[in-house]
Amino acid sequence: MSEARFRNPGWAGNTGDFELTEAEVRGSEYVGRRSPDGGHPSVAPSLPYMLVAKNPDAPLLEGPYRERLGKIRSRYPTARAALIPLLNMAQEIRGHISPATMNEVAGILGLSEAFVRGVATFYTMYNKRPVGRFLVQVCTNISCNLAGADEVLAAFLEHTETELGETSADGDFTVAEAECLAACGFPTCVQINSRYFEDVSPEDVPALLARLRREVDEGH
Amino acid sequence: MAYPYLHESETRVLSEGFGDPEARTVAGWRALGGYQGIARALEIGREATIDEVKASGLRGRGGAGFPTGLKWSFMPKDARRPHYLLCNADESEPGTFKDREIIRWTPHQLIEGCLVGSYAIGASHCYIYLRGEFFESTQVLARALEEAYGEGLVGRDVMGSGVDIDITLHVGAGAYICGEETGLMSSLEGRRGEPRIKPPFPAAVGAFGMPSTINNVETLAATPHILRHGGEWYRQWGTEKSPGTKLFCVSGHVKRPGNYELPLGFPMMELIEEVCGGLSGGRALKAVIPGGSSVPIMSAEECVECDLCYEGVEAAGSMLGCASVIVMDETTDIVKQVRRMAYFYAHESCGQCTPCREGTAWATRILRRIEDGRGTEGDLETLVEISEQMTGTTICVLSDSLAMPIISSIEKFRDDYLALIRRGERLGVA
Repeated sequence: MSEARFRNPGWAGNTGDFELTEAEVRGSEYVGRRSPDGGHPSVAPSLPYMLVAKNPDAPLLEGPYRERLGKIRSRYPTARAALIPLLNMAQEIRGHISPATMNEVAGILGLSEAFVRGVATFYTMYNKRPVGRFLVQVCTNISCNLAGADEVLAAFLEHTETELGETSADGDFTVAEAECLAACGFPTCVQINSRYFEDVSPEDVPALLARLRREVDEGH
Repeated sequence: MAYPYLHESETRVLSEGFGDPEARTVAGWRALGGYQGIARALEIGREATIDEVKASGLRGRGGAGFPTGLKWSFMPKDARRPHYLLCNADESEPGTFKDREIIRWTPHQLIEGCLVGSYAIGASHCYIYLRGEFFESTQVLARALEEAYGEGLVGRDVMGSGVDIDITLHVGAGAYICGEETGLMSSLEGRRGEPRIKPPFPAAVGAFGMPSTINNVETLAATPHILRHGGEWYRQWGTEKSPGTKLFCVSGHVKRPGNYELPLGFPMMELIEEVCGGLSGGRALKAVIPGGSSVPIMSAEECVECDLCYEGVEAAGSMLGCASVIVMDETTDIVKQVRRMAYFYAHESCGQCTPCREGTAWATRILRRIEDGRGTEGDLETLVEISEQMTGTTICVLSDSLAMPIISSIEKFRDDYLALIRRGERLGVA
């Protein structure tokens, strides 16, 4: 994952020469900034929910977030269907879903606490405990594994000085194993918060970690 | 526009806009002929739309290969209850990475496909169920959908036709099983993603108890082209039983992995040798998984005569699935890879059915034991026996999906297993 050239063109033959920048491949300019109120109701349940900034004590439904929940609820015939979008929003704000958050969500939607607990613990993307500013998830499933994903995972653990599933001492990195991220042609794929980094090799890891730290320092 | 590598065999129907950032906008998609398919559908009417898709012979691209037009025709014709179209964008079959490319390069292709599908089945609301990890591609789709609403292409009175079709993006939270159609419905309703027994089929009792149809991203993305050019046009590619083009996701030990759009029926060895540049490092082929991790493994000999269409891969003893070709060279440790797959299925089992919940975990433990040199020959018989008990005994096919690679790998690569067992015996690991 060198900076000079963005290796993953996204569709075919990642050995060619590309004229696309990283922003063009990611589509970040086209997307622009999405508003916390969710924008158009049709897309209100779709904001990214793994962010650098996390505030475990923040209120769930203030200002634009309350507005967004209203939009979300308008798109489904039942109150229950808003559960997963609301849990997503809770993680976006707080960084993880604690038992207290689950109960709060149950209260908002009029569902039983046990039901919400059952749902929240079913899905792997809900962090049941706090994670670092960057949640690094390395795919080790078959296609990435054939390309040496185990070594990439080991490199992340080594350079962040942490254990699998744990958070580094400085609170920056939690490193975990991920199941197939659907980027099998560009191994190894690593999901870091809401972004994918593809074609990552063990040698790329130190530069990638430095880049993440730099982005935070620069206020991205 | 940059296009890094295009093989002469490639036929770009769905992938024409890939790599062109402009194609993400309404204007860019229109420049590629976009929104003409839905316009024609609205003009010819529901029945004729379904007939056109039937005539094309398009088969579901999510793995099962069920004829799309036929699936649409199962929906009740009356409009007494709401109908729903659910677009399955929970792409998570190991080895598959096509839907993400469609979404992030050509979001309007999917939006238009959802409009065609919704119109055909009489749905006034379509939910696109995106896997949670697809944050970036989801943002591109979200912006495109906002744009489409703004231009009157989606929502009330689609393109001035008097037809109302809403589309909502629904983002999941990490569960392979939500890619199973009834698991997806459960998850959309705000429940654990547990599959349901069929019947009743979704066309009778689907999402929120209403008639529903679930289609894969690539399936829906193909429909605007079929409507625009006609079903017969689509049949110029592919075979009688597998018409059209397909995105082949090639991963593993090839020089140029990636998505290649090719006519169905394309020879497997030509894909590996020519299109993908052959195996990396010039090594020999050992095995191929042709359709994502849930299908039987093929030995190198079986690949030689295999054509990549539904009937061709079936004749070679496996399944085309979602055409996710995972290539493994002679250095591959088959036992390790099967163990990694088993771990995946054990992790993703929803836990409702005993053969799956217990079987996937048990098989993982045995495979780990063999890998570590602590296995016995009897373990292989146990693995086969467990796998047989995991086949056809559960609500969905998740456990069958593990049984197939286990049984086929023991059958075809028994020596790999035995070598590990013998080495362990020699070293006295057990």
